[in-house]
Amino acid sequence: MAGPEEVFALICKYFIEPVGRTTLFGHIGASLGRVLIGYSIASLAGVTLGLAMGYSKTVRAIAAPLFNIVRPIPAVAWIPMTILWLGIGEAAKIFIIFIGGFANTVINSMSGVRTVDPVLIGAAQLLGASKWQTFRRVILPSSFPYVFAGLQISLSGSWMSVLAAEMVSSHEGVGWLIITGMNNANTAQIMAGMIPIGVVGFILVSLMRWIEKKLCAWNDRSR
Amino acid sequence: MENRIVVKCKNVGKTFIQGKEENEVLKGVNLAIKEEEFVVLFGLAETGKTTLLNLIAGLEPVTEGTIEVNDEIVDGPKPNRGMVYQTTSLFPWLTVLGNVEFGPAVQGIKKTERRKKAQYYIDLVGLSGFEKTYPIKLSGGMKQRVGIARAYCNEPKVILMDEPFGHLDAQTRYLMEEEIERICAKEKRTVIFVTNNIEEAVYLADRILVLSDKPSHIVKEYQIDLPRPRNITAKEFLRLRKEITDFVERSAGEVDG
Repeated sequence: MAGPEEVFALICKYFIEPVGRTTLFGHIGASLGRVLIGYSIASLAGVTLGLAMGYSKTVRAIAAPLFNIVRPIPAVAWIPMTILWLGIGEAAKIFIIFIGGFANTVINSMSGVRTVDPVLIGAAQLLGASKWQTFRRVILPSSFPYVFAGLQISLSGSWMSVLAAEMVSSHEGVGWLIITGMNNANTAQIMAGMIPIGVVGFILVSLMRWIEKKLCAWNDRSR
Repeated sequence: MENRIVVKCKNVGKTFIQGKEENEVLKGVNLAIKEEEFVVLFGLAETGKTTLLNLIAGLEPVTEGTIEVNDEIVDGPKPNRGMVYQTTSLFPWLTVLGNVEFGPAVQGIKKTERRKKAQYYIDLVGLSGFEKTYPIKLSGGMKQRVGIARAYCNEPKVILMDEPFGHLDAQTRYLMEEEIERICAKEKRTVIFVTNNIEEAVYLADRILVLSDKPSHIVKEYQIDLPRPRNITAKEFLRLRKEITDFVERSAGEVDG
């Protein structure tokens, strides 16, 4: 097994010299690119479905049972079916990342809508707000802290599922580093994949916190 | 136009049904409130004062009788009624200005016009300089001032105030009562004000309506003709306060204090 100094030296080397097709920067970039695409799709779809489930009893009645069955299935378990449906290209990897982020966004967006204070809804209606205005000006901003918490958790979720995604026949990425490192019994390379996952994950979460603080100055959660 | 009836309740009843339990809160409530009248709905705890206010607001449907505001039967919340709530009901994601101009904004009034209007009411309630502050940074009394400005700025036919000072400390409460007196002297409106505080009722009301125990209806009416602003230690004030207190205690059977 490689010692810490050896791993450190190797990681430094990987930043300059390519491992496989590209350097460590290239691997991190490739993974980040996939995650950002998968995560964006998961966020858009998740927030939309979550808000709809929170707002409409009918949508909730239809979507909730299905959703609750699908939700506990981890991203890795989707790999075989994903390959069958989408092949082994980028689309399959993005789908796995999508699965890693989708559920938390839905759950949080839904509870955001459902925890809106009914007094505020009544107040808006008495001030003359239509149904749509009440949704846009009261329900949406009121659930925003919840939606955002969901987006934060799901960003971590999407990023964490990068390993599962890159198990699907990849040629680069931090997940690829771990998988090929495992196949070649190269512990240093495994570490060179693990550490960036940790560091980049931390940076992403901090970034989200910072954005939340800017956007939710009115809310006590962000103080 | 003077003395036109703005709010009319005809034989209004409200029963809440929870599972198999029926809870009759209001029964046979009749009242008529004139334009620019300041009416206090007085009742002890659990007498359905807030329920009656919610019915007039249209936030809850009546189960019996009819309510008319401005000759229109109430069948839902509408901006010709404004509400000032017991606890803060400000939109926390909007600034003071954003809250006050909410009504005009959703009704499509142009920005320059509604800004001017909002500013007028912000100044009226004494919050000049706090336009850009978020509610979380305001004290309880200041939040209620915003709530009052928000209701006024929408220019409703009738303003409903649901124990707006119930959660304030005694000192702030006195101050806010004086403020309401000052605001109403400057901007005459039809107001229905709910309270369980007799002193507050006598200080503010043109007329006090006393609600009975559940199922509540109006059992007594007091016309208060004392000159304004009223002195809470004046002889006539104290006499009225005692008269109402005695009545309430007698009809309630047992009341502490």
